Amino acid sequence: MSRVSLYLSTLLLVALPVAYVAFLYLVPLGGVALRSVDNSTIHANLPATASAIDEAGAPSDEVAAALAKDLAAADRRSLGELARLLNLDAPGMRSLLLKTKRALDEVEVKGLADLRAIDPDWDEPIYWQALAENAQPYTFRYYATAIGLDRDPAGGWQFGAEGAIYLQILLRTFWMSLQVAVIACLIAYPLAHAIANGPPTVRVLLLGAVLLSFWMSILVRTTAWVVILQREGLVNEALMALGLVREPVQLIFNRLGTLLAMVHVLLPFAVLPLLNNMKQIPAQQRDAARSLGAGPFESFLRVYLPQTMRGILVGAGTVFILSLGFYITPALVGSPGDQLLSYYIADFMLKQLNWGMASTLSVILLACVLLGLAVAWLVNLLWRPAARAA
Amino acid sequence: MIARILYVLLVSLAVLFLLAPILAVIPLAFNGGSFLSYPLDGVSLRWFETFLTTPPWLMALGNSVKVALGATVISVVLGGAAAVGLHALPNAWRVVVGGLFMSPLVVPSVVLSVGLFFLFARLGLAGHPLSIMLAHALLGFPLVFISVAATLRGLDPNLDLAASAMGASRWYRFWTVTFPLTLPGFWTGAIFAFMTSFDEVIIALFLSSPESITLPVVLFGSLRDKLQPTIVAVAVLLTCTSALFLAALGWLGRPRQAAQRTTETR
Repeated sequence: MSRVSLYLSTLLLVALPVAYVAFLYLVPLGGVALRSVDNSTIHANLPATASAIDEAGAPSDEVAAALAKDLAAADRRSLGELARLLNLDAPGMRSLLLKTKRALDEVEVKGLADLRAIDPDWDEPIYWQALAENAQPYTFRYYATAIGLDRDPAGGWQFGAEGAIYLQILLRTFWMSLQVAVIACLIAYPLAHAIANGPPTVRVLLLGAVLLSFWMSILVRTTAWVVILQREGLVNEALMALGLVREPVQLIFNRLGTLLAMVHVLLPFAVLPLLNNMKQIPAQQRDAARSLGAGPFESFLRVYLPQTMRGILVGAGTVFILSLGFYITPALVGSPGDQLLSYYIADFMLKQLNWGMASTLSVILLACVLLGLAVAWLVNLLWRPAARAA
Repeated sequence: MIARILYVLLVSLAVLFLLAPILAVIPLAFNGGSFLSYPLDGVSLRWFETFLTTPPWLMALGNSVKVALGATVISVVLGGAAAVGLHALPNAWRVVVGGLFMSPLVVPSVVLSVGLFFLFARLGLAGHPLSIMLAHALLGFPLVFISVAATLRGLDPNLDLAASAMGASRWYRFWTVTFPLTLPGFWTGAIFAFMTSFDEVIIALFLSSPESITLPVVLFGSLRDKLQPTIVAVAVLLTCTSALFLAALGWLGRPRQAAQRTTETR
């Protein structure tokens, strides 16, 4: 009896956060996934056409009458959105639809011939194909754009002239995240070592610096980089005072500045796992290795470093996965060529108001992060037995 | 010897990289001139004055405090319920449900924001401060959850057994034994949650309207627009807030360490 009531009260407690997470986290993410394939703007605004047209999009009197009926019923706003979306698939369809809609005030459309009388373009199969494809409530249009496909004049798919921009951006996101992870680990390693093994004062001061940095607003840290790297900034002044350069160097709004600022923001995420790892390595091991004749470098490479591999992997993995979704720092410190995938999602969402595209890129970014987590989980799984055997 | 020099050099460079940008920028907030460069053009507090007397900055500060307080309260309730609830459940549950609770922290904020934007638009809450509050609690409650869960794991189970042996009901035991002992965990989590919300930029950028705009969003906007000394003054104030909270965290951590020490010597 007591056990049952214990479980019941526990379940009630857990149900509260679970419900919150389900409603404010899982549902919205699912909504993003649905929106990335959503095509209801067309489906909902041309209901008669959608049910009348067949898959091949063969024009017939029945479809033409249905289309005329839908167009006559559509209001200005939904027609404009409809025309814009259809125009993406069949260039020229926007003006064709708007012209047809205007003509409907005077002409009654009973069949195909009446439509052709309004505009002979209704002879072209591409427009009927566009209608047929969009009669489906779901579309993979945004995914096609994301991998660089666009419509050829005949209505099929072809690789776009400007190439696969979003795939390149995705590749850039991976590459820059990898760079950030590697640089962050290189800088974090000596720092973590000093915190783990240094004298108490050094330990407290350094750990304090790392934690302060960890809790400092990302905007403050990015501002600091903008200020010191700008043309009149401290770094340029120092370089000129030392006579290394004659004119200020461009240090900001480029790749180097972006990578430096990102490493700085993410550094604590590399230091803390390394520190946890290093604290568990007894200091006597170094003395033992040295007394057996190993030099400082050899004892580090053969005794210390292998034992910190786990910390390195956890730190680098964390920094890499967090970098994938970075937006603020590149947006403030980078040039247009240094922006990661998140920037384009924000741009589609806030500026271009293309929600389908924003959702699709969101799904792709989320998939990449989940992939990264899965790899991290696998490595973690495979690593443990090896560590135990050693 | 060479190894020693190399080591000290590497550590110093790392520390320089970590601290130099922040230390270099702080004096500029007190610059008398209106340029963000050295040498300083006299020392003055005029940029702090600008911040504290400009209505848009003040309104944003007010919104930020309001949103962060609300998000903290929601986070503490949810995170506390999650930690106390999962503590009594078998391990497999803890891993799966705990993983679900922690996962909002790794989902890119931009992706989360896109989803929340659609959700709040549908609920008619678009641009309302409540929407930012609810969204920030999603990032704050996992922090309360881990913090409270860690203190719960550190508790001596015999205390609960002793109270039970003396006839205390489960409800009474929780409020008189378990809860007071895990209170530092709740406070630590609450500070984490507050800081996270107070500093959060992306979700607030997507969800806020001109009336509900928060301080980080204004800061982000003015950084993109034009670099002005007020920004650095705000940055310095934010840094002081972080340092203050960090000191509070250190203070909260201390009694627990003392308790550990006594158990070790015993």
